[in-house]
Amino acid sequence: MNMTSPFNQAQSINEVALSLAGVDKIYASTARKPVHAVQALDLDVRRGEIVALLGSSGCGKTSTLRMIAGFESVTNGSITLAGRRIETLPPARRGVAMAFEGYSLYPPLTVRDNIAFALKSARISAADASKAVEEMAALVEITPILDRYPSSISGGQQQRASLARALVRPADLYLLDEPMGQLEPRLRALLRGRLKRLLNERGMTSIFVTHDQTEANALADRVAVMEGGVLQQLANQTELKERPANLYVATFIGEPPMNVFDAKVEIGERVRFLVKDGLALDFSANAFSEAARAAFARRARAVIGVRPHDIRLGSGSNEAKLASNQWLGDQSHLAFDVAGKLMVAVAFDEVSAARGEVMRYDIDSAKLHVFDIDSGKAVSHGAEAA
Amino acid sequence: MAQIELKSLTKSYKTGKVLKGVSLAAEAGEIVCVFGPSGVGKTVLLRLIAGVEEADAGSIVLEGRDVTDAPPETRGVGIAFQNYALFPHMSAFDNIGSALTAHGASASTIKLKVEKIAEMLKISHVLSHLPRALSNGQKQRTALARALAADPKIVLLDDPLRNVDAKLRYEMRLELPALLRASGATVLYVTQDYKEAMAIGDRIAVLVEGRIEQIATPAAIYRGPRSVGVARLFGDPSINLIPIKPEATATGAVCEIGGATVSLAGVNVGTAGRSLLLGLRPEALAVSDRQTLGAFPVEVVAVTPLNEKTVLLMRTRDGQEIFASEAGVESEGRQPGPAFARFDPARALVFDEASGARMEGSV
Repeated sequence: MNMTSPFNQAQSINEVALSLAGVDKIYASTARKPVHAVQALDLDVRRGEIVALLGSSGCGKTSTLRMIAGFESVTNGSITLAGRRIETLPPARRGVAMAFEGYSLYPPLTVRDNIAFALKSARISAADASKAVEEMAALVEITPILDRYPSSISGGQQQRASLARALVRPADLYLLDEPMGQLEPRLRALLRGRLKRLLNERGMTSIFVTHDQTEANALADRVAVMEGGVLQQLANQTELKERPANLYVATFIGEPPMNVFDAKVEIGERVRFLVKDGLALDFSANAFSEAARAAFARRARAVIGVRPHDIRLGSGSNEAKLASNQWLGDQSHLAFDVAGKLMVAVAFDEVSAARGEVMRYDIDSAKLHVFDIDSGKAVSHGAEAA
Repeated sequence: MAQIELKSLTKSYKTGKVLKGVSLAAEAGEIVCVFGPSGVGKTVLLRLIAGVEEADAGSIVLEGRDVTDAPPETRGVGIAFQNYALFPHMSAFDNIGSALTAHGASASTIKLKVEKIAEMLKISHVLSHLPRALSNGQKQRTALARALAADPKIVLLDDPLRNVDAKLRYEMRLELPALLRASGATVLYVTQDYKEAMAIGDRIAVLVEGRIEQIATPAAIYRGPRSVGVARLFGDPSINLIPIKPEATATGAVCEIGGATVSLAGVNVGTAGRSLLLGLRPEALAVSDRQTLGAFPVEVVAVTPLNEKTVLLMRTRDGQEIFASEAGVESEGRQPGPAFARFDPARALVFDEASGARMEGSV
């Protein structure tokens, strides 16, 4: 696919394109208590960057996207896009292109004309416009239905057509709501890759909303994890995995999720985390930085966590009984009975071990995460204090 | 002896033939996952076995007894449907107990059994709740408990995890096989999620277009799918299928992929000149910056992380898009741009392009 564009933008990744400062969204209701859907949100998106708003339903991600688009008023705070305050402008004057559920295609126009319509104000030649439409249609795999009307195509095709309509035109910002909701898996994987390439190559600043972390991690440069109207962490996916800000992010990001246990903390020449039912993690004090040790020393109890991919199987001082061993073709998921729950380990090879078998395992201090038992805030990641 | 034996079951509706001769035998205590895309007749198959619908032809033998024409209540099967089908006016306890009441069990027996199964399924604390006060996960467990409560020898589960959230679905995927095994029942488990089928089934029956295309253990199906149709249904991203036309050379068969000549040594390609599909799972492709023996040139279009793996979308010189997946460190610093891909002949699957059948001897 040729990715040349009539509106190639210069990339300058460190420049802030979009800035949300102290944004609140409060839905007032006469019958019930007001709902504080988005709370004091500060969010900077750099030029050419792809940011995912990720969270479960009701986390505030969609309200945030709608406020940026202008479909929802801002209760407090400001939104600045390309140097302009936009929070009070009507949607059409904000310089954003969007693919939203409910922001539907015009029924009287064919799919082709729907996409081309977005280029009307772009001041490009008819030939270039037509080429741009074809290119975008090919990218989202809707070429065969370009001359059909919206009412005669499937929901998934409508979704892709509105994605093409949003992407085809120049804009300061692209807002995409669950852009790949209802596609079959292979096509979804294909579109993810193509879309990432397109957005990167053209330096298209984008925000997309998703509840699917696979989608968020695959596409985004940085992921904003939201919960309860509050931004929990904004970071790239390596950092989200290796340095989660709190227990919520730690257990939300990662498939399968991080294994976590309440533990008693003992600190002296050794650092010990004592979980119930005999599980004890015992490390040399040198395995942790002074700051981390000091943080442990202030706590009698903590939550410890380890990711399924970080558990080393077959050796080590810990033992656990295998509750299940499931091979999924390219990886094995092993679940162990540990301290009254299942601890999951993942290996990329087939592991020949049967249910009921006792296996040795090891948890490296470098892979250990410690969280405050009350606030859930990260205390340490590996050797370092958080 | 097979506990469930289906012979040449067919079923048509006005819209067409849904089941085109389904035969299957499940041994005592076995969990067989009936897996396939939506709309292939998986639910219809369960309904025929349960007796809520009648087959056009064929026979159903349960525990050695032909029940093809027997009324549903005499078949002794426990069923959990996708939509739970709980009685809305009854507590979770009474819903679970209803399976036992029907068998005339005493109140004390019912209490004992309901509490035992509820504990196993971790719903003891919500037994007094009405369905509307239960979360989806709790509803699903209640429906499952009801299906298992009367110790049926045969249990039919219709996509029981479909409507629960991803986290709970994953937990149940880990726990369900042990629970079902503890019940001792023979289980048919319908799902359209290949990972669920591989995780839960002792064997998987792959239903495609009204027929069982293959029935085998998860590993056997993943490594040796009988056809392209089956191969495509397993794996994330799914298998790459590259059209090839092998040619015989002095040093063995070769084919062309994206302008490069690639050796097919160690791959059974039958007679030369035939149109085949080379099936390469993403994890069977190794990607390198340098040209190595047997590698073909690709353009890495995008690098997209997938959990602890990294998926590379690549384009061959002739424009075909294929995926490679790499585990962890292999992908450090990987960037879009030109590269070379190589496959392990031992992991290549070859299919006849016309029939879709896998070539004998490949893998």
